[in-house]
Amino acid sequence: MGVADPAAIATPEAISPLREAWTVYRRNVPAVFGTLLLVAIILFVLYGTFIYKGDPYEIVWAPQTPPGTEATVPLGTDNLGRDILRGLLKGGGPTLAVGAAAAIITLVIGISLGGVAGYFGGWIDDLLMRVTEFFQVLPALLFAMVVITLFSPSTITTAIAIGVVLWPQTARLTRAEFLKIRELEYVTAARSIGARNGRIMWKVILPNALPPLIVSATLTVGVAILFQAGLSFLGLDDPNTMSWGLMIGTNRQYILDAWWPVTFPGIAIFLTVFAVSLVGDGLNDAFNPKLRER
Amino acid sequence: MNVGTPEPLLSIRGLKVEFSTRHGKVTALDGIDLDLMPGETLGVVGESGCGKSITALATMGLIPDPPGRIAGGHVLFDGEDITRADPRRLRSLRGADISMIFQEPMTSLNPVFTAGDQIAEAIMLHQSAGKAEADRMAVELLRTVGIPEPERRSRSYPHELSGGMRQRVMIAMAISCRPRILIADEPTTALDVTVQAQIFDLMRDIQRQFSVAIMLITHDMGAIAEMADRVAVMYAGRIVEKGTADEILDHPLHPYTRGLIGCIPVLGKEAGEEGRMPPLAEIPGIVPPLHLLGRGCAFADRCPLAFDRCRAESPALEGGAHKVACFAAEMEAA
Repeated sequence: MGVADPAAIATPEAISPLREAWTVYRRNVPAVFGTLLLVAIILFVLYGTFIYKGDPYEIVWAPQTPPGTEATVPLGTDNLGRDILRGLLKGGGPTLAVGAAAAIITLVIGISLGGVAGYFGGWIDDLLMRVTEFFQVLPALLFAMVVITLFSPSTITTAIAIGVVLWPQTARLTRAEFLKIRELEYVTAARSIGARNGRIMWKVILPNALPPLIVSATLTVGVAILFQAGLSFLGLDDPNTMSWGLMIGTNRQYILDAWWPVTFPGIAIFLTVFAVSLVGDGLNDAFNPKLRER
Repeated sequence: MNVGTPEPLLSIRGLKVEFSTRHGKVTALDGIDLDLMPGETLGVVGESGCGKSITALATMGLIPDPPGRIAGGHVLFDGEDITRADPRRLRSLRGADISMIFQEPMTSLNPVFTAGDQIAEAIMLHQSAGKAEADRMAVELLRTVGIPEPERRSRSYPHELSGGMRQRVMIAMAISCRPRILIADEPTTALDVTVQAQIFDLMRDIQRQFSVAIMLITHDMGAIAEMADRVAVMYAGRIVEKGTADEILDHPLHPYTRGLIGCIPVLGKEAGEEGRMPPLAEIPGIVPPLHLLGRGCAFADRCPLAFDRCRAESPALEGGAHKVACFAAEMEAA
């Protein structure tokens, strides 16, 4: 403000808020490290099987061969004599897919319910928030177990079960953002040019509410992967789909005889969740205007 | 400006708006009568909290319900009652026939879209224009409202524009569908004085070019002196004085109006000249909270002329062309 002649000020070329956030993100060393690590893990999972070929279910060597003892099985074998590296490569896909799918389910349910509740307020808000609370107070693991037991275990069931227990958090976050943004003048301005409720909710408010939701979604991916590992550990995952959690689950009773069949998939899960968290934190810093002031 | 055209474009009759609050039901607007003639500028003036903005929102059909509610009266736009219109009809009126610019140009534009995109959105809501066509029209509108390099500016985000430019973008958006009424709610309050003058110039240009009627809502008598043809002075949800701008500014009848005029700083005037009060007058006290209004005149507690009757009953708006709601003013006239 305070410019007498609008022609007199020269501003640089338009920078969108997203590009500004990217500029901040790029300078955040842990976030860049996390991104590279995540990309490396995804490439490893997507293309590793083309380089290191073989069936992960095939028994290739003596059971519980320690890593580094046989050149053909660099990471050793599990309790049945199956190649652990093959398992890691094959099991990564379902693990990452469940994480991503659960995060997407969480976002879709959470944003829809939270957005409607926050925008309309009143009895709609009360009703939807009671529903949300109902899901929130359910013991998450128990509820997911029931869902998986009812509908036979598969990657899709697992993703749905995890999404269903994790969405209330996203719904509450979305509701809070909508409650805050709907009072802002540009929302009244949008209404004053004749925009419909749907348009105001999804085209005016949602883009402004997105930054914290993106951050929360990244963190949800990490939580979902851990959750799936927990379910597999309890033997509630699809036994016919190789996943990191399943590898830990099937080998857990032999952990005192052989540490490697459990440790390598554990490290894989740790690195993935770690990378995703770094990305989430980086996004949080990039979108948070208070931290952005330097 | 054809003041005196018999048919008003907008006619507000006995408008009553209630809000439910923690203190129970309060009456934010209590029987407002206003007429807006085609092409004229009507100034609605008063302090914060006296119902000016509620009047504007009611005209747009935008009273937040709940907690607000139109409890009585009509808002007739071209003979059609807006208070009874269904949501679909209201949406087609908003922006297309009646549009609005806001006080805070900093917050009334959506931060995540470019200026051009937001104007194009407004165009596409009411006109059958494609995106490319709407973008082209948006650039033209930016040119109309005096934004330099409109092609480049249309790709700017709100945070890259100065306050004055943002208000110009808001005006461009408001006039994008050639409305017949433009409601300006404190359009220059958040701007520097020099920029204020530019925005008023622009509004006058727009009024001439598009023959739009303007309802100018302000607390600034200086803005009224500059822009308005006719004036309504509001206090605590009622109109206390109504007349042409000249009548109100030169012969204010209500003590509140006199107080507001006393608040205009005058350059180069000696204190005491023309009976003007020394340095800068102020009205003691604040607008009373609406839930604490008693039976009497709402202004009585702050009024230098108040007497017993003022605290016992509420004066009605009376008179010919220049109306006033004040017992003291009536006695003065008699």
